[in-house]
Amino acid sequence: MKILVYGQIRDNLLEENLLGILNKLSEVFQGSEIYAAILGSQINNEWTGELGKHGVKKVYTVEAPELENYLSRPYVKSMLEIIEKAEPTLVMAAGTVFGEDLIPRLAVHHGVSCAQRVVNITLEGEDILFHTPVRDDQAMKITKIEGVIKFATSRTGAFFENENPSGSAPEIEKVEISFDADDMVVKHVEVRKAERTVNLKDAKLIVAGGRGVGGKDNFQILKDLAELLGGEIGATRACTDVHWIEETYEIGQTGQSVSPDIYIAAGISGAPQHLSGVKAKTFIAINTDEGAPILKYADYGIIGDLLVILPLLKKKLE
Amino acid sequence: MKIIVFIDQIVSTQVKLQGVDYFDPSKVNEDDLVINPTSKNAIEGALKLKDSLEATVTAVCVRGLKPIKALREAIAMGCTDAIEIADEILYTEDPLLLAKIYVDVLEKFGDFDLVFLGVEEQSTSSYAVGAMLAEKLGLPSVLYAEEMETIDSGFQVGHVLEGGRNIVTIPKKALISVSDSQYFTPRYTSMRGILTAKRAEIPSWTAADLGLSTGVAGKEAASLQQVSLTNIVIERESYIINEGEPEEMVDKLLAKLKEDEVKLGA
Ligand SMILES: Cc1cc2nc3c(=O)[nH]c(=O)nc-3n(C[C@H](O)[C@H](O)[C@H](O)COP(=O)(O)OP(=O)(O)OC[C@H]3O[C@@H](n4cnc5c(N)ncnc54)[C@H](O)[C@@H]3O)c2cc1C
Ligand SMILES: Nc1ncnc2c1ncn2[C@@H]1O[C@H](COP(=O)(O)O)[C@@H](O)[C@H]1O
Repeated sequence: MKILVYGQIRDNLLEENLLGILNKLSEVFQGSEIYAAILGSQINNEWTGELGKHGVKKVYTVEAPELENYLSRPYVKSMLEIIEKAEPTLVMAAGTVFGEDLIPRLAVHHGVSCAQRVVNITLEGEDILFHTPVRDDQAMKITKIEGVIKFATSRTGAFFENENPSGSAPEIEKVEISFDADDMVVKHVEVRKAERTVNLKDAKLIVAGGRGVGGKDNFQILKDLAELLGGEIGATRACTDVHWIEETYEIGQTGQSVSPDIYIAAGISGAPQHLSGVKAKTFIAINTDEGAPILKYADYGIIGDLLVILPLLKKKLE
Repeated sequence: MKIIVFIDQIVSTQVKLQGVDYFDPSKVNEDDLVINPTSKNAIEGALKLKDSLEATVTAVCVRGLKPIKALREAIAMGCTDAIEIADEILYTEDPLLLAKIYVDVLEKFGDFDLVFLGVEEQSTSSYAVGAMLAEKLGLPSVLYAEEMETIDSGFQVGHVLEGGRNIVTIPKKALISVSDSQYFTPRYTSMRGILTAKRAEIPSWTAADLGLSTGVAGKEAASLQQVSLTNIVIERESYIINEGEPEEMVDKLLAKLKEDEVKLGA
């Protein structure tokens, strides 16, 4: 069996979730051949080398100025061509914003549905089973897809990379694709990168706030507590979107990944995109809503107003 | 300009239902059905353009348990009109089938310019409908939009991206799937809107009206098949304090942390 992985490049590096996918695939589909596709305006040997190390036998590359930034049409066009060459049974991408854009489109061209945000893949006889959590992780849905080629993305953070990869340099096949004006109707303007002025990676304690913080000024309450405890603050995208707090503090799939000893989540509902960036030893949640999904992940929780609870907590700890 | 918004109905997340029963529609109280929050974001996106572009905004709901309720609310928010697609045979759990149904809805609708949908829904989301529909229609599209502005050639749209926000431009005829952001924060219904909604006539289209049969848009036509749906049980033991005065709660938490030898702070 042949598997094709979309080798997304992010900030000039292989998307980190890819390595986890490769590890999972080689575990589940022993004896199968894993291929990868890298598209871009300039392809770096280090990327292909790293893919090889993680078990990829062959890398298809498409180099063209039109592929400088991800845009659905030129990327779909290129991937369809590569799929035709590689004849895979399964096509996978990391469930990043672009991966989740690409996979369903490829599936449409093959007349099938796809499974997005998969957290596990298992085999049952001839069938490949895709496990996806649904409804704020309340239930696990297992699906299978009909069709010659199956398409899926992984949920970010779901799989772990092999720490001791031992693969060798992959075969490289360059693929030429030409693009026309019709492929380029959606135009890339710019990436507004979030400034990363504060590194939260090594923080031992984080007091993170969500929409429940309610406003810019209230973040001071979190800052005061964090300062007292010698920790950092963090936030959800909902807060950085409205500029209550600098973007650097965003935690999650599109923000920073953190692994503190203690994570205090105040006014955060617990969206998977947020939680995928948090690995904490001890998780404390403060939320007014007893049904908030975050409470399932919390070791400790208080059902209450963070604007009352956090200052009290600070007072008692002083 | 004609804008279409596809909306769906979910059980309010405020409603605590046990386990996978949640997914059994027959166990759901109709009063607990709400417009999917992200669909509301999509409605907002359409409504923001309604006045400035002199557009009509039509809300469409495919199946749903009480779609008329959702569609009236959409009108109360400001949508021009609404269409219900009501047919038991239509299967909505397969994103490709749903996209196919949308294509037929749009065909019957006739001319349209913009299509809005949500993404990140709270129910059994597939995260795939928007991309699939765009691809089927060959429409330029942006997913996970967080902000947009009208420009001469169409729209400039900012969407979610790992590490920041990506900005692209798209033509006037396009598909936008929106996420939960300040720009797309839904407005409330107005008194006038509610009155308009009460009086509004909402046409109902069946599968036959769309030329769809079970073989094409029913469960048997789905390529994504559900093998099982089971409750996720998290082994982790949570210590949740849900009663008492705030001060008592904090004391309780601190006492428990001490007992468990969890040290707050460095
Ligand atoms: C592709 C993609 C990537 C994303 N990446 C990220 C990411 O990296 N990081 C991220 O955070 N988000 C990310 N998001 C957004 C994510 O899906 C959620 O929308 C977001 O995390 C929700 O933030 P929140 O919990 O602050 O807000 P909400 O979901 O609105 O939750 C607010 C919570 O606060 C509680 N609350 C309200 N008032 C109070 C009070 N006074 N006291 C205590 N509790 C209160 C409420 O009960 C609720 O649970 C991404 C979205 C997409 C589409
Ligand atoms: N049954 C439905 N009727 C109308 N719109 C729907 C339906 N199901 C999903 N949608 C729309 O498609 C969006 C994305 O769904 P999904 O891709 O499954 O996450 C939703 O937010 C709605 O806007």
